[in-house]
Amino acid sequence: MNTSRKSVTAVTISLATVILGTLSGYAATAATKTSVVKPIILYAAMGYDAVIAKAFTAASGIPVKLVDDSTGPLLTKIAAERNNPQWTALWVDGDTAFASLDKQGQLLAYKSKVKLNVVGTKLTPADHSYTPTGTTVMAALIYNSAKVTSVPTTYNDLLKPAYKNQVGMNDPSQSGPTFPFIAGLMNQLGGKSNGVAAGELFLTKLKANGLQVFPTNGDTKHALETGQINYGLIQSSAAEGEVMDFTTKPVAGFVPKVIYLSKSTLLPGVFGINKRASAVQQEEAKKLLDYILSPAGQKVAQGGDASGDSLYWPVVPGVNALKGLSVFPKSYQTIDPYFWGPLQGKVVTWFDSTIK
Amino acid sequence: MTVAQQKTIEESRFDTLVATVIDQSSMDPVDRVNKTRRQPASFRLSIPPITAFWILIIAILVIPILLFLVTAFSPILLDQGTQWFTFSAFQQVFSGLFLVALRNTFFVGVLSAVSAAAIGLVMAWVVLRTNAPARRLWTSATFALLLAPSYLIALGWQRLVESGGVLQIMGVDPTLARSLLYGPIGITLILAVKGIPFAYLVTSNAMRGLGGEFEQAVRVHGGSRRESLKVMATLLSPAIWSAMAIVFAESISDFGVAATLSSPAHFPVATFMLYNSVEAFPVQFPLAAAVSWILLGLIVLALLAQSRALRGRSFRVFGGRTRPTQRQNLSLWGKVAVTTGIVVLLIVTLGIPVFGAISASLLTGLGSLISTHSLNFDNYYRVLSSPLLRDPLIFSSKLAVISASIAVILAAVAAKLLVASKGGISARLFDFLLLTAVALPGIVFAAGYIFAYNLPLVNTMGIHLYGTAALLVLAYIATSLPLTSRSLVGNMGQLQESMSEACRVHGSGPIRTWFAVVMPILARPLLVAWLLTYAGTLLELPVSQLLYPAGSAPISVGINKALGNYDFGGGTAMEILAILSALSVVCLAYLLFTLLAPRGWKRLGRVI
Repeated sequence: MNTSRKSVTAVTISLATVILGTLSGYAATAATKTSVVKPIILYAAMGYDAVIAKAFTAASGIPVKLVDDSTGPLLTKIAAERNNPQWTALWVDGDTAFASLDKQGQLLAYKSKVKLNVVGTKLTPADHSYTPTGTTVMAALIYNSAKVTSVPTTYNDLLKPAYKNQVGMNDPSQSGPTFPFIAGLMNQLGGKSNGVAAGELFLTKLKANGLQVFPTNGDTKHALETGQINYGLIQSSAAEGEVMDFTTKPVAGFVPKVIYLSKSTLLPGVFGINKRASAVQQEEAKKLLDYILSPAGQKVAQGGDASGDSLYWPVVPGVNALKGLSVFPKSYQTIDPYFWGPLQGKVVTWFDSTIK
Repeated sequence: MTVAQQKTIEESRFDTLVATVIDQSSMDPVDRVNKTRRQPASFRLSIPPITAFWILIIAILVIPILLFLVTAFSPILLDQGTQWFTFSAFQQVFSGLFLVALRNTFFVGVLSAVSAAAIGLVMAWVVLRTNAPARRLWTSATFALLLAPSYLIALGWQRLVESGGVLQIMGVDPTLARSLLYGPIGITLILAVKGIPFAYLVTSNAMRGLGGEFEQAVRVHGGSRRESLKVMATLLSPAIWSAMAIVFAESISDFGVAATLSSPAHFPVATFMLYNSVEAFPVQFPLAAAVSWILLGLIVLALLAQSRALRGRSFRVFGGRTRPTQRQNLSLWGKVAVTTGIVVLLIVTLGIPVFGAISASLLTGLGSLISTHSLNFDNYYRVLSSPLLRDPLIFSSKLAVISASIAVILAAVAAKLLVASKGGISARLFDFLLLTAVALPGIVFAAGYIFAYNLPLVNTMGIHLYGTAALLVLAYIATSLPLTSRSLVGNMGQLQESMSEACRVHGSGPIRTWFAVVMPILARPLLVAWLLTYAGTLLELPVSQLLYPAGSAPISVGINKALGNYDFGGGTAMEILAILSALSVVCLAYLLFTLLAPRGWKRLGRVI
């Protein structure tokens, strides 16, 4: 071996040693941590998931490792892990993704020890493959009452000239909760048999009346604040939070109010357990679900993100919604996620090319 | 000696350490000198270093990318479908909105690459070759520019032109500006703005190595200043093409601008469609993989153009006789014009994002119906105590230091391989691989890493990297290596081997030669490359998002979470604090370099 080669080899060996040393340090740390106990690997996108995980660990002694992100990346991760799943439980808004995971046989059926109220029961699938932990509504209609006086009572009202160029909604390709809203409209207007066509016709008319599309809840709220629109169709927790913020710190010229048009489509927060997680982790995840639905867990959840995700309606009897949250809409509907979920790709593509 | 003669001589010599290992059969004079110094068998390794290097590259770059790409043809392999072999994903990609998006991506990529490279070249000339008073402003702004995420750039422009925004407050109707921003012009402009600092760094590094003798030669032989500039541009063409290729690859893979402007503008681009395929339900990896194949096709076109433009010429201009250059004394009007140009450029590139950041994190009420605007630090006070900030920022900083340090060493080897005249197919393949990696959005890497390192087979082999910080570091290295390597190629390509050979012939070993000859020339570019990688890694999102170990979120995930929860003020404040922390590291590194580096290391590009 010549000197040159020897030196390059030495550099390579040194570099490899540094890399392996550094990396093995990290890997070893992870391995040490996982060898003693089996923590729950919780993939969650709820604003209060971190405080729940902490409180649950304090109450039960079971560690929870949280992967806290938006729903989209979490579902991407789960899809990529499909041949060797690492997650123990998934906790995000919306049941369509859970219906799909259930169809793929990825969810463990579990009926919680905690009894659910009527709404919660309606949102629970027959096979108990997932469980609602609370519900929001998609969509709430938020409007600036300082600027407009007309208030619609039905979705069809939004097609009237009084609302021309005044209404905004989220883009279903960027906003997770928006497809359930569109599916709800379709379900309401034409049921499973004719809903897609009826819904597309309605949205086309709404577009003709000047509907504006913004990426997500936050952008639609911002458009309302800037006066680009006067009515926004967004998730109830975001709308109610906006109202609360401006009630606490009122400003002239912007007085947001919320109403719920008939029918309000429910968008539940949903918890599901991985069928391929270890038996120990599955049992721990069941305890975590029971804790979330317990009065203690609900109290923690409601305090975790008081002006955001905590603004949900509980699905367990005896637990009241946070003070200041509107009364639960009388006219509501649940959609069949096993039917509407598989239509998401097609409907969103249509929306992309026709409405946006 | 003419360039052609130099080339002929160089081709017959020992080229680089790496090339030596690739082609051991043709030994150069230095090797022949060392031939007698055989080492005992116990020192020999069964794996040659270059093979080890390639194994590492295959592990961190090739396998994850290939596994992702293969889902386009054979989704069943990774449990992403039921078909063993299909073209259905490609049929979708070559129709409807996808096709429009691909066309848009190509044009936007070319326009932003050419614009950024042209502006980067002019700025490099202004900063290094003139006495324009404002030139230092640009130098210090470059890193801030590199750190500004697409989100902030786009946000600044949005705040400027939106209804009730700055222009409207100033009494200017923003309708036209808004319609331009939300369309191909706005998207190209912002992508070019993102690309300018890359282009500037690449071309200015190369310009530092270009001595004054070439310009002087043209002038002595009666050439005009214009002809002198033309010769300079020709000698810098590898760096210019490299800059264009990087900006093109960066532009076609950018998601920040696509997400912010492409969707509202109804101007679909490929990355937006790709992300929609994998981050919206239902997740469709085969579709995303098909889009990735097309992006690769675009990169092949870019490389072919680069190769065609540079074929048959050598650009090794840095040697032992390289002379310091002389700054051009601009006239008063020249100084005024150049200074005005720099200020305008800084306002467009940096001022508007800074304004976006300020308006989002410090100012309440701007762009809204709220009549009073107030400036306060509430968002900063709030996030300073947020669990989403402190620990994640420390965690990300540690990972960024480790990743940048390893990536820069690997990048130096990679750059050497890329410029090796004996590299041949190996170097060309590697070049393609690196540019491919730039052109593929981060999410492709992230998903590819899950596919590769979460395979049951890999676990069976005792490798349990998925879900650990180790894999995240490897992915950071892999994503930063292409840009880091390419940023060093310009300088590495200028090095005349005669200097190293002279050192070796006079008895120095390769390590000593490296420190005595190469380090003085590469010290500053290596420092810049390290800082570039550190800063890029600190705020990296797509890879972090999918690969971070449970319970240890990096800062970018925390920021994204805050923004996702509609806390724009808090999220932006966190982003600003993270950027400030990175800028502190940049300042500290330059201070240490100035104080501690040997004098010779600081002399490259010296201008008198």
